[in-house]
Amino acid sequence: MKTITIEHLTRVEGNGGISATIDGKVVTDVKFNIFEGPRLIERLTVGRTPEEDVSISPRICAICTLSHKNAVLRAIENALSVKVSPKVYYSREMMHMGEMIESHSLHTFILALADYLGYPNAIAMAANYGFEVKIGLEMKNFGNHIMKTYSGRFIHGENPIIGGFGKFPSREELIWIKNRAQQFMPFVFKAVKLFCELDYPTIPESDTLYACCEPGNNKYGFWGEEILLSTGEKFKRDDYKSFNNEFVVSHSYAKRSRYNGKPFSVGALARVNVLGERLEGNAGEMYKKYFNEHWKKNPLYHNAAQALEIMYCFERIPQLADILLGYEENPPVISYTTKNGAGTGLVEAPRGLLVHHHEIEDGLVKYVDIITPTAMNCEDIERYCHIAAQELLDKGKEEEIKARMDLIVRAFDPCISCSAHAAQVEQAQQEAWKDRLTEITTQTAPVFIGVGNDERSDDRIGLKLASVLKESGMANVFLESDIQADTALQERAQDRPIIFIDAVNFGERAGKITMFPVEYILNNAALSHKFIPFLSGQIHNEQIKNSFVLGIQPQSTDFGQNISPQVLDAMDKIIDHLKN
Amino acid sequence: MKNDKLKIGFYELTGCAGDCLLVTDCEMELIDIFNAVDIQSFAMVMSNNTDGELDLALVEGSVTTEKEIEELKDIRKRAKAVVAFGTCAVLGGVQARFIDPKEWEKNLKIVYGNTEFTHTKPVQSKPIDAFIDVDFYLPGCPVSKEQFLNFFTRILKGNPPEHYPNPVCVTCKYNENDCLLKKGELCLGPLTADGCGSICPNHNIPCNGCWGPVEGANVTSEFYLLKEKGFSVDEIKKKMANFSGTKITDYFQQLDKEPK
Repeated sequence: MKTITIEHLTRVEGNGGISATIDGKVVTDVKFNIFEGPRLIERLTVGRTPEEDVSISPRICAICTLSHKNAVLRAIENALSVKVSPKVYYSREMMHMGEMIESHSLHTFILALADYLGYPNAIAMAANYGFEVKIGLEMKNFGNHIMKTYSGRFIHGENPIIGGFGKFPSREELIWIKNRAQQFMPFVFKAVKLFCELDYPTIPESDTLYACCEPGNNKYGFWGEEILLSTGEKFKRDDYKSFNNEFVVSHSYAKRSRYNGKPFSVGALARVNVLGERLEGNAGEMYKKYFNEHWKKNPLYHNAAQALEIMYCFERIPQLADILLGYEENPPVISYTTKNGAGTGLVEAPRGLLVHHHEIEDGLVKYVDIITPTAMNCEDIERYCHIAAQELLDKGKEEEIKARMDLIVRAFDPCISCSAHAAQVEQAQQEAWKDRLTEITTQTAPVFIGVGNDERSDDRIGLKLASVLKESGMANVFLESDIQADTALQERAQDRPIIFIDAVNFGERAGKITMFPVEYILNNAALSHKFIPFLSGQIHNEQIKNSFVLGIQPQSTDFGQNISPQVLDAMDKIIDHLKN
Repeated sequence: MKNDKLKIGFYELTGCAGDCLLVTDCEMELIDIFNAVDIQSFAMVMSNNTDGELDLALVEGSVTTEKEIEELKDIRKRAKAVVAFGTCAVLGGVQARFIDPKEWEKNLKIVYGNTEFTHTKPVQSKPIDAFIDVDFYLPGCPVSKEQFLNFFTRILKGNPPEHYPNPVCVTCKYNENDCLLKKGELCLGPLTADGCGSICPNHNIPCNGCWGPVEGANVTSEFYLLKEKGFSVDEIKKKMANFSGTKITDYFQQLDKEPK
């Protein structure tokens, strides 16, 4: 057993790593680790004024600072019933365009492109690809210029405040931004062509659920009052918790999110998947030209989607400039007298859906809940890395796993500061299953289900082991057949993790034991499909998340009644371990 | 050819990564920066990082886990000079707001419940000089581009970094802004180290103190001035503590000794 590890993810923002543990032919564990320490951002502004909250909350992250600013402003203005004037609204949209261009051009050209061209970084790449690096830096500089013009600084600008802006940019500055955006268009076309025509690997590919803000009016955009899923389901702003259940895992200070127990994706690729049909102008043409089946299931296309969005932003900026030039007067900051209220703000940060919920009581912040896009993507990042690791392992390309996981994580453009740095592949420790089993049985009350075919020698082991455990008086042990007969089981086992006991061919010597999350079955054609009926019907998704397969390597699964001695030894080991 | 370029490393502990990002925000200077020195480590931008001897290490972020204490000590061992890069590294940053350990523990529990973390143990946010000797301080939330480039070019030529002994008010006056304190706003300009170019007051927004306290600030005087303007002691103390973590408590102690 071994583990492939990228201890320190590079070319991402923040400190993280990813590891994959391999047991024979099975990838038993994939962990996206976040080493960024706990900052307690949601607690920092409790007891402070709403103004301090607007200043401090966006400090969660440098690269999405204005997304956080827009989100906290939307939340607090909703809470305090502050309605801003159209000029403020469109100025904030312009500011957001700056951040999108800055973040997307940094990620595509400077951080991700080096992978596809085979360089360790963009500066090394500049010797042979000076033109690309230069376009990337110029675009980033332009995005930053807009951010600075509207927010006061490149990072953590304080100019946007509750009810408006401290100061509006001049007409001359606005005209300069408009002209400059138009001058960029030939280079924007080159960027889209470059990133949409890159040769993206086809591992991993798997369908997922995409989520983003519903901008309304059948338009593309970066904020809204509802969350829209690729299934068409919608959730109202204040109802965000019913879409998004946050939970904590022990290997990371970032909280995780799932929808109905399933991982989902947010970000540029999610937006293009959900809202792409709404793109107009050149961005619409490019969408029609390049969008295909791969975009729906391959996370590496995040980079292509980001390039499309760069085009959308460059086309939107002159429109916004014209709208803003139409407002001669600078509206005064709207003051408020409300001292109590709760509000939610939904914004699309460059890397995906961002939720801010702020509650004010007696003029001071009482409660803050922030759900960041990288926290939402964590589970899908792990899922896609697992798919890739398993497929590459199946194809005998173990040496490619590390680089591929690195590529996947980076494609998601994770902002680790936000969520709370890269990849690692390890062979599992000898008998790592013991620790896992101990952890689960001591912390929760799992239900054991023996699975197998009673007529195929070693494949009987799951059933036999469950029978022995049952006879020894252990509670909560069932056979596959019990489940079919007893529909009440589902209710009894509700919210408790399930441990399936089965013969699993993971390419090791007979009798070797392994343990891995049951979800991995779904990513691994070589493993038993016996669980699929349970997974799709009788068990709800919340439960799947916490369930495992305890597998024993069989010698033979031919027809017959004999269980091989090594497999029987393994059974005794498990029984001994459970009894102690 | 012998490589006599300065060996430099950029490191991120816990924070928003804004100071390292600020370096990439020097878009037009970025390639020159990379060519002028030998960058050994810069995880945000490069993959081929090495952990060898350094002439200069710029460390951003505050220390919030046991693992980071080890990393920081290792950086100190390898580097001839260490720079506390940004307010988090200099003062502890916004995440050092909970000065009382009990309050920090309570809040940690509120956020993460009873989860026992397996990867590393959390510790209360502290500036890097709580664990190692620091040669230079470059505050800012994040550091300003001008201040960073100025620092970088001076070091490159073997000169000591420029000292910023003035509070924000000095630059604010040069910029001919109307005094926000006079308008009755809770502005921390007189107490706060300059370097930002008085950017917030330039936008009619009171200074929130994100560069941390300026050396020799007359805290008592500002405190009583703000009290006279009608702000409560609690309000003033809270605003002063937002960015400056445990280091501001020294000032508070100084205040508590003053006659009320």
